[in-house]
Amino acid sequence: MITNWLQRSRKSSSTSHAPSKPTVTITVIAFLFAASPHLLAMPIWLAISILLAGLWRIATAWLNWRPPHWSIRIVLTFAALAMVVVAYGTLWGRRAATALLCVMMAAKLMEMFKMRDARQIAALSFFLVGAQFLFGQQLGLFAYLLIACWLATSAMVYIQRDEDRPDSVIDADTQAATAVRSSGSIMSGRARELKSGLMLMLLAIPFALVLFALFPRLASPLWGLPEDALDGRTGLSEEMSPGSIASLFADDSPAFRVQFDGTRPSQQDLYWRGPVLWRFDGNTWRRLFFSNRDPERMPPRENPALQYTVQLEPNERRWMFTLDYPVAWTQEARLTADFQLIRQRPVTRLISYDVASQPDFVDSPELMHTLRQVALNLPEDQNPRTRARAAEFRQQYPDDRELINAVLRWFNEDAFFYSLETAPLGWHGADEFLFDLKTGYCEYYASAFAILMRAAGIPARIVTGYQGGFWQQSSEYLLVRQSDAHAWVEVWLPDTGWTRIDPTAAVSPSRIIENARSALNERLGWFESAWAMRLRNEYDRLQHYWNQWVLGFNAGRQQQFLSRLGLGEISTPMMALLIAVMAIITIAPIAFLLRGLGQGRLRITPAERAWRRISRRMKKNQLKPYAGETALEFAHRSSIHLDNGNELIEAARLFYVLHYAPAQAGHEHRLAELQKSAKIWRPKWNSAKTNSLQPLETI
Amino acid sequence: MSSSKSWPKRASPEAYPAVFAAPGRWLNQKLNAWLKRRGPVHPPLRLAYRQIFILPTRFGWILGLIAFAMLMGSLNFNNNLGLFTTFLVAGIALLSLHIAYRNLEGLSIRGCNADSVFSGNDLTLTVQLADGSHRLRSGIRLGGAAGEAQADVTDLQADQDGQLSLTIPTAQRGWLKVGRLRLSTRHPLGLFEAWSVFWPEQSFLIWPQPADQAPPLPVSASQRESEQPGDEGDEFHGLRDWREGDPIHRIAWKASQRHQDLLARQFSRPAQDELMLNLEQAPGLTREQRISVVTRWLLDADRSGARFGLDLGSVRIAPDSGAKHRTRCLNALAELP
Repeated sequence: MITNWLQRSRKSSSTSHAPSKPTVTITVIAFLFAASPHLLAMPIWLAISILLAGLWRIATAWLNWRPPHWSIRIVLTFAALAMVVVAYGTLWGRRAATALLCVMMAAKLMEMFKMRDARQIAALSFFLVGAQFLFGQQLGLFAYLLIACWLATSAMVYIQRDEDRPDSVIDADTQAATAVRSSGSIMSGRARELKSGLMLMLLAIPFALVLFALFPRLASPLWGLPEDALDGRTGLSEEMSPGSIASLFADDSPAFRVQFDGTRPSQQDLYWRGPVLWRFDGNTWRRLFFSNRDPERMPPRENPALQYTVQLEPNERRWMFTLDYPVAWTQEARLTADFQLIRQRPVTRLISYDVASQPDFVDSPELMHTLRQVALNLPEDQNPRTRARAAEFRQQYPDDRELINAVLRWFNEDAFFYSLETAPLGWHGADEFLFDLKTGYCEYYASAFAILMRAAGIPARIVTGYQGGFWQQSSEYLLVRQSDAHAWVEVWLPDTGWTRIDPTAAVSPSRIIENARSALNERLGWFESAWAMRLRNEYDRLQHYWNQWVLGFNAGRQQQFLSRLGLGEISTPMMALLIAVMAIITIAPIAFLLRGLGQGRLRITPAERAWRRISRRMKKNQLKPYAGETALEFAHRSSIHLDNGNELIEAARLFYVLHYAPAQAGHEHRLAELQKSAKIWRPKWNSAKTNSLQPLETI
Repeated sequence: MSSSKSWPKRASPEAYPAVFAAPGRWLNQKLNAWLKRRGPVHPPLRLAYRQIFILPTRFGWILGLIAFAMLMGSLNFNNNLGLFTTFLVAGIALLSLHIAYRNLEGLSIRGCNADSVFSGNDLTLTVQLADGSHRLRSGIRLGGAAGEAQADVTDLQADQDGQLSLTIPTAQRGWLKVGRLRLSTRHPLGLFEAWSVFWPEQSFLIWPQPADQAPPLPVSASQRESEQPGDEGDEFHGLRDWREGDPIHRIAWKASQRHQDLLARQFSRPAQDELMLNLEQAPGLTREQRISVVTRWLLDADRSGARFGLDLGSVRIAPDSGAKHRTRCLNALAELP
């Protein structure tokens, strides 16, 4: 007998539910939306394939196509795998792994003919959202997070509704019937599920915030971060060849933000020191391994002139940008002999560090012989005209300082232009630039100037970094964009040590006083017009707070936050308890907000509300409807005590018609009348009310 | 086989404790006893927190696994947006747990009823539900203890009644005690299943299975017994010797002329089959087979509109016809020891 039953149930379970058209549509949309940032980062043909798979699945649902044969599915799955390998050359690495996940989910769409498969797609959509934040956590992505979670949650609601529909058994004929019934209802009745999904997500946000604030963070990672996290969105490179900085000029994304405690330096002094380049091979400037030691002489630590906090965007490099000369800093970083601040690990996520700088300092009053050799070294067979010119200068100005001034004057007075549009340089790069082209940007000027100096016997090196920045009005921070990248020269003079010279400033002072953009004197597109720039600056201010309070919320800041709440010394079990209590506090009241999920109270019609208002006024005299007493009976009973009982009876009649009669002409009018009397009607008790109330009820 | 508990069972002949004889059954027994100790389990009842259980579904576990992977990844890379996503998913799941619970909480099970069926057919058990908490209840599902596959699902509007039905296969005549039933819901996300169990207090009578092949109705045998003399209004039946006491006007004068004795006309009721069925008439090896044959006869007789009675020794039902009578007879057969 029981085996009988079991067999039967097994049989009936094999006829499983199929997702309906709206469910399929919303699930595919949830997947595609969650995958959208990944798709944008993929090779275009891969993205289009995934998009097509999604559209195909939706079309299948609406046009009642058959599921593909299993052999086709297997072939397509392997083809998808091969596509990822071809596109990325590997399955390893973050981009390839997420692309693989997207592709596999797209392949899964082809067999999404069961509830279980649709559910897996919905659940993995959450994972895709989480995975996206490994590549970037900008403010704008928060909207993506919310929308994607909403869609995925709604998809889950849709799927569950489908499963709870008794008639959704998949049979060849019943499926068609179900399809007809549910078609076209996505906009009307089914919007309820979207609303439910939205409510669920919105109501979960307080809980998520509590957990976000209280959940313990790891002070150090359990495993390392792969190196390809940023899709080559990188900042300054560690060498400089023509064009390497120019590629950054077009990049308006923020490089870092700085908040100053106290004194703000003037715009001309904002030279953010990055890699220092010594070695020149005729084309490229490179760092010097020898400078990887500690500085021979440190600026005094006491009373640093500048104190500031830098919020550095991820750039996959190890430089931490500072103003000259850093004396104290908070991150694990090392100062090199040429005052570059270098981290142990590349910056793969937003970091924040405090720095103190002492600009009043003489760097290397004595120059070691070997270093001097390096700082004077030039390839022999290059730039003959520049060498000749340097010799000329040297003859004319035996003093180093005068020579430098003369060169700067030359740059200023001769027809040199600052422009991004210039020709690439050949073998005798400095010659071509200084004597033929006379047009270029900071890189060209810095490189040519350094060559000229070396040829004239003055030790010179190139410093790359950022110059200037944009002061956000009223919010007290300096925004430095990638487009503020700059290169300048340091020459060694016997009395002042390494001294900063910016040849670009000699040519185009506005580059330094304002920024690279104003120096370019080009027609600006609408995107770069003043108001658009202001809008973008405003957006960056939001982004700044976002970085400060959301992304920068790490173990250290959490500790600060908790101690401000007086929870600094809380033990782990107590913390778990606190989280549980907060979870209950945030989840429990939500029961009363569940109306949107169809769990609310009965809807009261306007007529009912009006009648209740009226009948409640009788309560004062202990008159209230008995159980089972109709409105009209109640009105009649009450009218005995009233001088204006007729009006009450009339109101009860109106309510009857509105509540029980089918909708008809004149309803609006009647409703208005009832509502009006609900507003103004007051019982006028007749003289006999006090003594006659009780006996009357028993009559 | 966990459901075996709910069916009528014989005392197990094993001498050693039940826990070793059939651990599954023993466990189930303990479970049922525990469930019954926790609170009321027989309808009418209103589900309260002591009667509602809730656990993640398979999909719930899968999403939990995914959320855990997201948590580890986000924590490791100190990825705050990733963490927020994870917590948002956790919050959504927690809410859905709460909603699933609320979906059952306060639901009233008014009672169960079912029409008797022949053994071998499915008993359709109907459970009457009602909401008394002004709540819409979505996706309420009724299933037997064995599994929810043949479950029936319904939405219950706020403050309205509703019903769910469950088909239970039958294999034995007599009083069927329906075992543990399960009211469950996975609304809204399918991540958690909240459920309650209850036992219908009454039993349902299962009629014997009518035999597929049975000898024709034992008409001749029974006719004798059921024959009743008629009067003039009835059909003419035949002639017999006049006896003292026969009314004078029944004498068939014309026919008597040709005979020595007086003949009296005899009348009878029209040939209405009046059967008295009993087990002894029925062929069959076992008692159950004979009951089965009698059931078939009973149904055939009922279909042909005949009057029939039932003589089962202990129970005797006078001949009659009609649906009520039929039910009475079937019940008597079903209840035979």
